[in-house]
Amino acid sequence: MAANFWESSQYKQLLDQEEVDVVQPLDKERGISVEDFKLIKFHMSNHIMKLAQHIKVRQRVVATAITYMRRVYTKKSMVEFEPRLVAIACLYLASKAEESIVQARNLVFYSKRLYPDDYKYELKDILGMEMRVLEALDYYLVVFHPYRSLSDFLQDAALNDVNMNQFTWGIVNDTYKMDLILVHPPYRIALACIYIASVQREKDITAWLQDLNEDMNLVKNIAMEILDFYENYRTITDEKVSSAFSKLALKP
Amino acid sequence: MAVADAGKLNIEEHPPLWGSRSVDCFEKLEQIGEGTYGQVYMAKDIKTGEIVALKKIRMDNEKEGFPITAIREIKILKKLHHENVVELKEIVTSPGRDTDDQGKPDNNKYKGGIYMVFEYMDHDLTGLADRPGLRFTIPQIKCYMRQLLTGLHYCHAHQILHRDIKGSNLLIDNEGQLKLADFGLARMYSQDHSGNLTNRVITLWYRPPELLLGATKYGPAIDMWSVGCIFAELLYAKPILPGKNENEQLSKIFELCGSPDENNWPGVTKMPWFNNFKPSRPLKRRVREFFGQYQVFDRHALELLDKMLVLDPSQRITAKDALDAEYFWTDPLPCDPKSLPTYEASHEFQTKKKRQEQRQREEAAKRQKLQHPHQQHSRLPPLQHGGQSHAAAPHWPAHPTNNAPPQVPAGPSHHYYGKPRGPPGPNRYPPSGNQSRGYNQSRGGYSSSGSYHQQGRGAPYAGGGPRGPSGGAYGVGPPNYTQGGQHGGSGRGQNPMGGSRNQQYGWQQ
Repeated sequence: MAANFWESSQYKQLLDQEEVDVVQPLDKERGISVEDFKLIKFHMSNHIMKLAQHIKVRQRVVATAITYMRRVYTKKSMVEFEPRLVAIACLYLASKAEESIVQARNLVFYSKRLYPDDYKYELKDILGMEMRVLEALDYYLVVFHPYRSLSDFLQDAALNDVNMNQFTWGIVNDTYKMDLILVHPPYRIALACIYIASVQREKDITAWLQDLNEDMNLVKNIAMEILDFYENYRTITDEKVSSAFSKLALKP
Repeated sequence: MAVADAGKLNIEEHPPLWGSRSVDCFEKLEQIGEGTYGQVYMAKDIKTGEIVALKKIRMDNEKEGFPITAIREIKILKKLHHENVVELKEIVTSPGRDTDDQGKPDNNKYKGGIYMVFEYMDHDLTGLADRPGLRFTIPQIKCYMRQLLTGLHYCHAHQILHRDIKGSNLLIDNEGQLKLADFGLARMYSQDHSGNLTNRVITLWYRPPELLLGATKYGPAIDMWSVGCIFAELLYAKPILPGKNENEQLSKIFELCGSPDENNWPGVTKMPWFNNFKPSRPLKRRVREFFGQYQVFDRHALELLDKMLVLDPSQRITAKDALDAEYFWTDPLPCDPKSLPTYEASHEFQTKKKRQEQRQREEAAKRQKLQHPHQQHSRLPPLQHGGQSHAAAPHWPAHPTNNAPPQVPAGPSHHYYGKPRGPPGPNRYPPSGNQSRGYNQSRGGYSSSGSYHQQGRGAPYAGGGPRGPSGGAYGVGPPNYTQGGQHGGSGRGQNPMGGSRNQQYGWQQ
C-alpha cells in the first residue's frame, strides 16, 4: 500500500491505549469487563486467521481484517455488532480492499464447515454487516501494516536471512492478537518485533538501532507489551473465552 | 446502528468521524448525470446551504455486497487531498426500505442507497469545450493543462494511476479551478508490483499504445498519454485520435506517431498483441509535422506534445517534467484561474434540456422560415451554415504568431468568448437519428465508470476543421478530416469502447 503513513488517516486516528480499552456501555451492562473485551477480540482475531487459512488469502488481508474489527469495537458495542459476524464481514471487506477478493458464499461455506454447530449466518447477514462495518469505519479502508517496514529494516540491518525473516514475520502476525495496530505507528511495531527477535537469537543490533534516530524507549515499551502478551497467552483458556461470550448473550 | 444514529448526528455541526449521515440531510435539486453506475444529483446541504454533487453507488450485485469498484474509488479518494483533485466530502446512506418480521430495522443496509458526496463543480472540460461559440485562449489552455498536470503529478506521487483521464473527467468550477474526478478505475500501483493489471482501461481515444498492445504491467505513463491527447485536443479543437475500435485506434496512433520497432521502443515486438497489430509498412512519425501546420501549436507546444505522445512509455515525459516544460514558462503565460470567465453551468442533464428547447425553437423557426424565408434567415448566425463560413466565429484570441502581447488576465478579450454567441445552429448536432445516442449518456466526471459505454457527444463542431485554426485565417481543415457533412457520422456519436468495458471487472485483480 503506497503513500505515506504520516499523511494517512490511520496516523491521525491513532488512539491511546486507554481509549482502546473502553468497553461500550451496552456491553458493560452485560457485565463485560476490559479483560473479557480483550479476550473476545483476541478470540475473533484467531477466528479470522483460521478462516483465512482455509480460504487461502494473503496475510495482508488477515491483518487488515483484524484491524477493521478492532477499529469497529473502539466505537461500537459487541451487543450490536455480533463478533462472529463482524469477523467474517471484516475478512470479506478486507479481501476487497486488499484486492484479493473472496467470494462471500465461500466465506459462508467455510464458516459452516469450521463451526458446524455454532455457525448461523447466511450471505445476506454478511453483506448487511459489511455495510454497517463500512459505516463504522467511516469508509477509511487503507491500513498500513508493519510488514513493509519489517522487510526494509531487516535488509538494512543485514538480518534478512530466512530464519530471521520468518521469526520476525511470525512475531508481527502475533501482534494482531493485540490492539497495537490501533495505538502505534506500524514501523515502530516492526522495530519492536525485530528487537525481540534479536534478543531471542542473540544478535547484537544495538549499533544499528542507535543509528535509526528513533526513540528507543517507545520501541522497548512496545516490545515489553508483546512479551507480556506472550506471558499471559498461556493463561488464556477456552473456558475464559466462552465465559466472556456467554456474558454477551445474557440479557441484562 | 447507523440509521438510527443518523437522525441524532444530523444536528451536529460537522460530519461525525464515525458513522455516516443520512442522505436526507440533502435536498436533491436536479439530476446532473446518469451513468450505468448510477445517478448523479446536484443537491443542497439543508443545514449549511452548501451545494454538492451526490453520486449514487448502485448496489446491484446482491451476492457480492458493496461493489469493489466503489471500494477502490473510496480508498483512493479518502487519501487524496489536493486542490486539483475532486474532494470526497463524505458518504451518506439512505435507510433500507424494510423492517423485518419482528419490526426490527432491516440490517441489510445494502438495499438502501449509498451516495458519495462531492464538492459541486459547474463544468467538465468536454462540456465547456463543446459550448457553442466558446474558444479557449492559449493562456486558458495553459492554465488548465498546468492544473491537470499538477493534479496528476500529485496522484502519481501517491502511487495512484487514474486510468481514465479524459475531458469529461476533468471538472472545472467557476473559479477556473480544474479537478481530476472519477477515480472509479483508478488503482494504486508500486514499482515492485508483481501482479498484472488489466489493460482494459482508459476510454479508447485516450488509451496509450502499450495498453492497446496488451501490456499488463504499466505505470503513470499511461495517464500521460491521455494528457497528451487532451492537450492536442484543446489546441486542435477536436479529438485527435477518434478510433472506432481498438484496431483502428492503433492504426491512427501509428499514422501519427510512426510505427513502433525495437529502435524507438525496445521490447515492443514482444508485447502480447504486437503481431496482431503491427503496421504492414513502416510509418514515419509526424506529430510535429502534422500539428505544426496549425499556428496554435507554437514551438513550445509542439515540443511538449512531442514528448507526451511518445510510443515507448518509458521514454514518455512524466507529469513532473512536463510542468517544467518551456511551454508553461513562455509568453503567453498561463493565466490565473480566477481571471477566467465564468460560464453558466454545463452539465449534461442541464445542457441537454436546453438543447432540446433549442431544437424546438429551431424547428419552429424553420416552419416560420418557410413562411417568411428572408426575415428568418438573416437572424441565424453564419456559424450554422454547414461549417464553411466561420467569418462570424470568434478568432483565436491569443494567436501565438501575431506578436500580440501576452493575454492580460481578465482583460477585455475575455468578453469576446465569455458567453455563447447566439443559439447554436442545427448543424452542430448529429442528425436526429443520432441524437438520442449522442446525448443520453452522461459524460460528467461524477458519473463514474459506466459513462464511457458511449461517448455522449455529437459531432461537436460546426465545421470540419478545428475550431480555432479553421476560421478564415487558415482556410483549410486538417487533412484527415472531411470538411463539413460529417456530423454524426465520424463525430463523437461513436461508441469508442465497444463492448469491452464490461469485461474488465471480471478478471481484474
